[in-house]
Amino acid sequence: MAFAPVLHAEWIKIRTLRSMLWALGAIVLATAAFSALAALDAGGTGFDALFSAFFGVSFGQVAAVAFGATAVSSEFQGGALRVSLTAVPQRGRWFAAKAMAVGVPALAVGLVTGFVSLAVGTAALGEKANGLTWTEGLRGAVGCGVYLALMALLATGLTALLRSGVATLGILIPFLLLVSFVVGDMSGTVADFLPDKAGQMVLHETSEGALGPWSGLAVTACWTAAALLAGAWSIRRRDA
Amino acid sequence: MTSIDVQDLTKEYGSKRAVDHLTFRVLPGRVTGFLGPNGAGKSTTLRLVLGLDRPTSGTARVGGRAYATLDEPLRHVGALLDAQAPHGSRSARDHLRALAVSNRIGARRVDEVLEEAGLASVARHRVKTYSLGMRQRLGIAAALLGDPPVVLLDEPSNGLDPEGIIWIRELLRRLAREGRTVLVSSHLMNETASFADHLVVLGRGRLLADTPMRDFIQARVEPRVRVRTTDGPALRELLARHGYEVSEDDEGRWTVHHARVEDIGRLASGAGLPLLELSAEEGTLEQAYLDLTAPEAEFTTTPAQPQEA
Repeated sequence: MAFAPVLHAEWIKIRTLRSMLWALGAIVLATAAFSALAALDAGGTGFDALFSAFFGVSFGQVAAVAFGATAVSSEFQGGALRVSLTAVPQRGRWFAAKAMAVGVPALAVGLVTGFVSLAVGTAALGEKANGLTWTEGLRGAVGCGVYLALMALLATGLTALLRSGVATLGILIPFLLLVSFVVGDMSGTVADFLPDKAGQMVLHETSEGALGPWSGLAVTACWTAAALLAGAWSIRRRDA
Repeated sequence: MTSIDVQDLTKEYGSKRAVDHLTFRVLPGRVTGFLGPNGAGKSTTLRLVLGLDRPTSGTARVGGRAYATLDEPLRHVGALLDAQAPHGSRSARDHLRALAVSNRIGARRVDEVLEEAGLASVARHRVKTYSLGMRQRLGIAAALLGDPPVVLLDEPSNGLDPEGIIWIRELLRRLAREGRTVLVSSHLMNETASFADHLVVLGRGRLLADTPMRDFIQARVEPRVRVRTTDGPALRELLARHGYEVSEDDEGRWTVHHARVEDIGRLASGAGLPLLELSAEEGTLEQAYLDLTAPEAEFTTTPAQPQEA
């Protein structure tokens, strides 16, 4: 079977669910809104102008995770996966199409989010953003898009592995909102290599730990790749 | 010729054997009823045929090929497994569109099957607003999408109103007339009797019967003849002389056990007896089925027995 029709089918499934479109919209809104709020109140020690403009990513990524998880979890309701796999019995190909149908819109919306957040954030920072260079801003905006797409795909892989959106959100959201904040100040430890901490290096002006902006994003990409491979393994191996 | 071939198929879930060395063939041009008590392995067998579950041993093939090797399989096999599968927040049309696109089936065909299933007027409504009967119709529409030579339907009459039941009956017969292979699982005996030509019966994962429906009934239910005459005593004497067992009801009708109309009619005419009524009392599929599965059914009433998913 050709890949393009399978991908088209998966894209139809995503764009015909209102909840999926809401989740995509929420990525932009949450990121931009919280970035603006944080930027208005920014300053003090350890102030990082770039990260202040992207602070809202911590909240926007929850929407990205919800988007990636819901796209797969809907397949585990009422035997929907069986219908999908009778239409496309090549399971590896089917899951690749699913991941691409999640990843491409997540990346597109993520890039929009990056530039909107940068614009809103720097505007709210005012004079405090003067130190930011043009290349730093561009790096942050593009990095933000890639990071959000990777987080959505991490959730996609994990949901396929756990066969449940509730389980995935139950693990990822507390992890992103709590664990990362708690260990957030422990720079220079293994905490730097957690998927969210590592990937967010690209949103910082200066990097202190072992990881730079792009190597950090690569670490997140490894986490995502591992989750997708585990999800693909589960889809291929288990009875539908 | 597109048949379904199940060869020595076995599926174990942990220690439970859901399908046990099953071998049968479903041929085109007729409706095959797939019967068995809950937990007999009907749905498991259908999932194995569709490549959704992996068999422990044995094979299931469609037109000589494993389902998973079919290119654009909706054009070869149409299946309804679970009417709850379509996402409630999606419209019926979008659900079918996504399926069709994956197998490069045109949008016009989507509208055709919606029309055929009687859902054209609600095609753009969200599936969560549908009744169970409408969801069944949508599942059947999905099965017909690729105009497939093989159709597998798991309990398609579930939740259908009387009009829907007539519709599905006519549809199944038409599909068989067109030369397609049609396998329909059910536990509604009267319903199955109204459309099936052939039967495959399972019990506890094993094959209990694979015969034409008529033979199945005749082999298991005693044939009886109802007869009414103006000369009761003469009839009784005649039948007794030929070794028939008879009983009479209040209205003067005689029931002859283990008899066929051909024999009784010839006998009466030979003796010059005037007959007012002569008819065969057909055994029902239900009687025949219960006769066959009585031991299996007893087994399924033990509380520890898990039910079919």
